[in-house]
Amino acid sequence: MRLNADCKNLAVLTFASAKVAANKTSVLIIKSRYLLTAIATIIFAGLGTLHSPVLQAAGLQSSVIASALWSADSGNFKRQNYQFTLEPEFILRFDNRAKLTALSRLRSISLDALSPENVTDNAYSPYSKPLFIGNSSEFELREFYLEIPSENYYFTLGKQQVVWGKADGLKVLDIVNPQSYREFILEDFDDSRIPQWLANIETNIGAWDAQFLWIPDQSYHVLASEGGLYTPTSPLLLPQAPPAGVSVDVEPIERPERLLKDSDIGLRLSRFWKGWDLSLNYLYQYDNFALLYQERSLTAVGPHVTIEPQYRRTHVLGGSFSNAFDNWVLRGELAYFTDRYFLAEGLSDNDGIAKGKEVSYVVGLDWAGLENTLISGQLFQSVALNRQSATVRDKSESTLSLLVNHTLLNETLELRLIWLANSNIGDGLVRLRVSYEWQDNLKTWLSSDTFYGSEEGLFGQFDANDRLTLGIEIGFE
Amino acid sequence: MKSILRRSALLSICTTICAAPLFAQSSENTSEAALPRAEDVVAHINSRDEGEAVSRKLSIEMRDKRGKTRHRETRSYRKYYAGEKRTVIFYLSPKNIKDTAFLTYDYNDPEQEDSQWLYLPALRKVRRISASDRGDYFLGTDMTYEDIKLETRVSSADFNFQTIGTCDADDKPGLQIQGTPKSQEIARELGYSKTLSCVDNEIWMVRHSQFWDIKGNLLKTVTISNIEQIQGIWSQQNIDVENHKTGHSTRLIFSEIDYQSPVPEDIFTTNAIKRGL
Repeated sequence: MRLNADCKNLAVLTFASAKVAANKTSVLIIKSRYLLTAIATIIFAGLGTLHSPVLQAAGLQSSVIASALWSADSGNFKRQNYQFTLEPEFILRFDNRAKLTALSRLRSISLDALSPENVTDNAYSPYSKPLFIGNSSEFELREFYLEIPSENYYFTLGKQQVVWGKADGLKVLDIVNPQSYREFILEDFDDSRIPQWLANIETNIGAWDAQFLWIPDQSYHVLASEGGLYTPTSPLLLPQAPPAGVSVDVEPIERPERLLKDSDIGLRLSRFWKGWDLSLNYLYQYDNFALLYQERSLTAVGPHVTIEPQYRRTHVLGGSFSNAFDNWVLRGELAYFTDRYFLAEGLSDNDGIAKGKEVSYVVGLDWAGLENTLISGQLFQSVALNRQSATVRDKSESTLSLLVNHTLLNETLELRLIWLANSNIGDGLVRLRVSYEWQDNLKTWLSSDTFYGSEEGLFGQFDANDRLTLGIEIGFE
Repeated sequence: MKSILRRSALLSICTTICAAPLFAQSSENTSEAALPRAEDVVAHINSRDEGEAVSRKLSIEMRDKRGKTRHRETRSYRKYYAGEKRTVIFYLSPKNIKDTAFLTYDYNDPEQEDSQWLYLPALRKVRRISASDRGDYFLGTDMTYEDIKLETRVSSADFNFQTIGTCDADDKPGLQIQGTPKSQEIARELGYSKTLSCVDNEIWMVRHSQFWDIKGNLLKTVTISNIEQIQGIWSQQNIDVENHKTGHSTRLIFSEIDYQSPVPEDIFTTNAIKRGL
């Protein structure tokens, strides 16, 4: 399962992040200016390919979504958090069908343990990092991209999200953009996905739709840092604490910074063939989780461990399929990683990391046989291959998911259950949600998120964080 | 999720509702011998010119029994190909469902199941959906997926029709046709045990229909109005559906109907519904 595989090693990053040197930041900022200039150049070069006067705006659309959340501990109803979010969006349309979209987010959170700033902020590239306002608020340019249709190509240039996968709840192929785990996986993916500055070019090659991605923006997964409500503690994700008497030092993380050489590259071919939706995917990317290499030494004062967080590249080859049969939809995704790095067990590996490969896949079955109801089951499995030494994770990890969605009252009332269950450790997460649409653009909901199982598990580690949430969302146009 | 699915379908509705079931207004039965055969009436309805392609704006007003109303604005495109009909619907407002889009390939071969996709902006994913739940209601409206798919056609594959008299609808004389599902299974799938429609036999459009549920209770009344020739093609601009069971009603308003402007081929693709309008 992708989540398990990805999360490995993360937590410690938490400690490393705090140590990113200030002078390094300033260097990154300077470099980021070059990158922004490069991206701006690409955008305007794209505009230059258009024929008519480029900036003849045909219309501007604007809208705002305001939402507020109140959450409490499910056990004692003690307040967990207040959160308020404003998301203004502007769309500027040009006469030649080009379109410029800008979406930002202002978010304010009452709880320090969920504070926007309380994350591994070194995971953001300097040009994608939100602006933190005090300890409780953040402002982020979520998306800013220009779409340029032409005869044979469709350009989307700028800061954006690219979604490949179709699985619910967990990810297999949806790995182009990194993700924020500030609230583990409880946040909607649309909110937790970290948009990146990239060039997205689509065209047709025969019967296939082709998509090419160039991603110079090096942002990575963001984790809750130490003291956060969802800071990972599972040994599947975090190296074990060293024995007493062993000192530990964490080096600043080395971020890939070369504009071209460190870019991620993606290619996707897709088509509709005899009833099947098919895709072939390739991604050459830095793994979005930092690897926590250890250097063990014996000093005058005793044993010492230096942790050196690094990002490493991998090739990803994958594909997906889906088709409908009567009331059923069968779908699946597969991803093969040529270079994976797992947490080594004990001292079996000198640097604490065991290199290997990984195959990750999901098979899902959706059933729509009952009126206004969708029932969907999925099997996620991750298999570690060719490991150089013993690893903390099992060779094969499996997670099952169940989704039940039912609507009532002409779809104004919606009931939803999502159940994720890991079969290796026996832990899981149960999510219930009831939402009601009072009128156009006014919706409220009540939800519960309940973790269970061993604290060593990916889900069980948050067993003490079960929560109830009451939310309201209002849209303005 | 499925709800969203349904929603989308809605839109395509374009003309719909009229199609399948019809029913009677007031009727003054005349001798059956003087009436045209139902097979001929159905053939006329199904061969009526709908244009090779059309683009139009569709506004949807939904009202519950307490008078609370909801509005949807969409833009839809439909095009006939040699072996299929393709329809795509884009939701333009309100904000909470804006950018939702629905795409369907309706194949001529009745044995071949339709292909359908739904783009969910909240998930940013194009999702393949099953086309077999045709009796479900879409987008919170009072129309089923099958109503939407048929547009202005009538399903002779699912119903046995009988001409039972004459009728008046919208001050136009017409023929009254009764439809009965060909099997219990079809009745269950569609949710109808009987339909009664008043067909304007000047232009071969259904103007008024009634539907009974599988228990035999009156379920819905559909009224089609504001029918005009647009670019030489008879087009309905208003469809009102009243659900007698729930007290909920739906009004569809078609505007900016255009049969002549070219509809781009690549708009009927999953990439197009992902990008939106």
